[in-house]
Amino acid sequence: MQSNLVDFIQVLRTQEVRISPAETLDAMEVARRLGYADRTLLCDGLAMTLAKTPEEEVIFRHCFDRYFQQELSDFSTQGEAPETETESGLSPAESATQAQELAATQATALQLAAETNPELEALLQTELMQNLLSNDRTELTLAMNQAAERVGLQQIQMFTQKGQFTRRILDAMGEEHIRSAVIALERDESPALPVLQRYRDTLREQVRDYVEREYLLHAEGKTQQFMDDILSKTRLNNIEHLYLHKVHELIRKMAKKLASRHSRRRKLLKRGRLDMAKTLRKGIPHDGMMFNTYWRQVRKEKPQILAVCDVSGSVAAYAKFLLLFLYSLQDILPKVRSFAFSSHLGEVSNYFSEHPVEKAIELVNWKYGGATDYGSSLSDFAQLALDDINSNTTVIILGDARNNNGDPRLDIMQGIYQRARQVIWLNPESRRAWGSGDSEMLRYQSACHFSAECNNLKQLERIVDQLLKSSR
Amino acid sequence: MHTQDFPQLDSVEKIEQGFESHGYICSRKIATAVFLAFQLRKPVLVEGPPGVGKTELAKTLALLLESPLIRLQCYEGLDEAKALYEWKYGKQLLYTQVLKEKLGDLLQGAQSLAESVAKLHQFGDIFYSEEFLEPRPLLKAMQQEKGAILLIDEVDKADYEFESLLLEILSDYQISIPEIGTIKARSAPMVFLTSNNTRDISDALKRRCLHLYIPFPTVELEERIVLSRVPGIDEQLRHQLVGFVHSLRELDLKKAPAISETIDWARSLLLLHAEHLEEELVRSTLNVLLKYEDDIEATDAELRALVRSTAADHAN
Repeated sequence: MQSNLVDFIQVLRTQEVRISPAETLDAMEVARRLGYADRTLLCDGLAMTLAKTPEEEVIFRHCFDRYFQQELSDFSTQGEAPETETESGLSPAESATQAQELAATQATALQLAAETNPELEALLQTELMQNLLSNDRTELTLAMNQAAERVGLQQIQMFTQKGQFTRRILDAMGEEHIRSAVIALERDESPALPVLQRYRDTLREQVRDYVEREYLLHAEGKTQQFMDDILSKTRLNNIEHLYLHKVHELIRKMAKKLASRHSRRRKLLKRGRLDMAKTLRKGIPHDGMMFNTYWRQVRKEKPQILAVCDVSGSVAAYAKFLLLFLYSLQDILPKVRSFAFSSHLGEVSNYFSEHPVEKAIELVNWKYGGATDYGSSLSDFAQLALDDINSNTTVIILGDARNNNGDPRLDIMQGIYQRARQVIWLNPESRRAWGSGDSEMLRYQSACHFSAECNNLKQLERIVDQLLKSSR
Repeated sequence: MHTQDFPQLDSVEKIEQGFESHGYICSRKIATAVFLAFQLRKPVLVEGPPGVGKTELAKTLALLLESPLIRLQCYEGLDEAKALYEWKYGKQLLYTQVLKEKLGDLLQGAQSLAESVAKLHQFGDIFYSEEFLEPRPLLKAMQQEKGAILLIDEVDKADYEFESLLLEILSDYQISIPEIGTIKARSAPMVFLTSNNTRDISDALKRRCLHLYIPFPTVELEERIVLSRVPGIDEQLRHQLVGFVHSLRELDLKKAPAISETIDWARSLLLLHAEHLEEELVRSTLNVLLKYEDDIEATDAELRALVRSTAADHAN
């Protein structure tokens, strides 16, 4: 049972429930104290040690049910038979006896055929076939589990591997005997052929189901991790709409990670509450006279972030993600003001704080979408926020700097540059394209502390991480 | 706390009964958490919407075990001087004064400066000693001879740094004081931390705790709770009012009514001698259930339908 529990924890880990070794030990202890008899009690108890948030608890309960599902696979060849029989008005007992009779006649049919066919004869002697004939579920399930372990089914990672593992398990269980017997029967055109075929198909079906179940248990999570990894490296404008939801999750996770890594900091300052202990200690040389007073105070550093996002047509595909990121960031960091622009600029912080993410992004796009005019947008920005920019402010600009050959108003950028602690420009275009055509990037770059190419989530994460580190 | 001292906590069933006898109807899950916390000597982090009985859980347990309840309310800016210990500065000052006067006697006969210093060293330094220590809730909980229930309320309101301060206490039941050394708990207290989820608790803290999430109760459970807290209320009215509160929780409200509000409302209805729910009655007492003007307005429009449907549901 103990190794079972460890296996189960492994499964939970693939489903993104983080469990430390210490928690594994706790879980063992819980299982020992509560016993395995009461299923709900055990489930509740384990949930308390292993799941740390309500969301994780949902995943936990789902996995618990799936993992400790004690159902045995059904290997009888009359899979659908009972249903039709109940329709015809037979009682379950009668249908059961009928099923038994049917099995018996099938067995005798095989026996008869075996007399003329040595391969079938040999097959009937094997344990596998014996179990199949008597429909011994426990033995068969056991054999299947052992075979699965031998071929390392737990290592299954991708859905494409399902067929391969099914075949390997079948081989490990000795299915080739049935196969060769089927071929032999075909050659002889024996009447027992369909009977044996049916046994073979049932076996295959059950193994396939089993592999499917195990795949869901072990690999679904891994595939998810794999997907996350791929998604975070794909260029943002190539991510299909289908995965937008997933990306949202990823961004949220990332923003959270960043925010927790760079959360508020406290600092000891000169004045504040009297530090009595220190004052006393320092007074000792002066004969106990508290000559100097020492103070302590906690001060919260409040870095302010102003984020400006281009939502014009040329960056539409990126804007969605950048806005998504802004939204998440504003959710987490206390002092973020967001602005959006294409031809003119406006503050969108309120949309973000009042509406759910999809709605907010839609509203922003609707209100500020259009053709780009960096010049007038910058002057709007200066009007709205220039007075608030001080040495604690970080300004992030997200945009491609393509200004349709208009006036770039570099003077405003320089004004911002001089006032702010940091100006960061994230451009979705690759560095090579900067300055080509109507791109003003090279000029704007001169008024930025830091500018970078940013077109996938990995880059975005790295840049924002860097930004927050230096904004401390 | 020693296991054998508290037969009330022997099994999950006993805990359920014990809590019920003190008027706290708990679900199986809550009882399991208390059982495990006691058996494994682990703190419990209780989460859930406000008003589902997180704080009440610790209070009731203290009643049940007849142990002292030591409560630390967290808030922004809470620091170790308020949570752990503080030096008694006044007494320390007096001590230095006394010491100065006694200094002559102490150093009597010392010829050289070196000798005086050596003599001085012979006397124990009690400037920083437990006598001058003013225990705050956390230290107080460690000092209880027979164990205590320590309730660290709304830990999410405290700063991030405060959580790190808790780690040593929660995992080893000891406190390190730089001037003195490590003070171990005389008897490990049972610790409950509550959180309203205004921010995420750090992983390090979560890892040390059992995690208990208390959701809004089911209809059956809530009826039992109302029955135990407001015993005088008519059965039909009880059905109706719990049903109504449950239908309120399904609306999109700023703050859904919690158990404590249900109980308050039941008490109000009892005082008003109501026998069954009527639209007018509900409207005039709605402010007991809902704490935001927006919520009251939003509900007002649907009140008639809500009252009618719950009245119909529980008419028999």
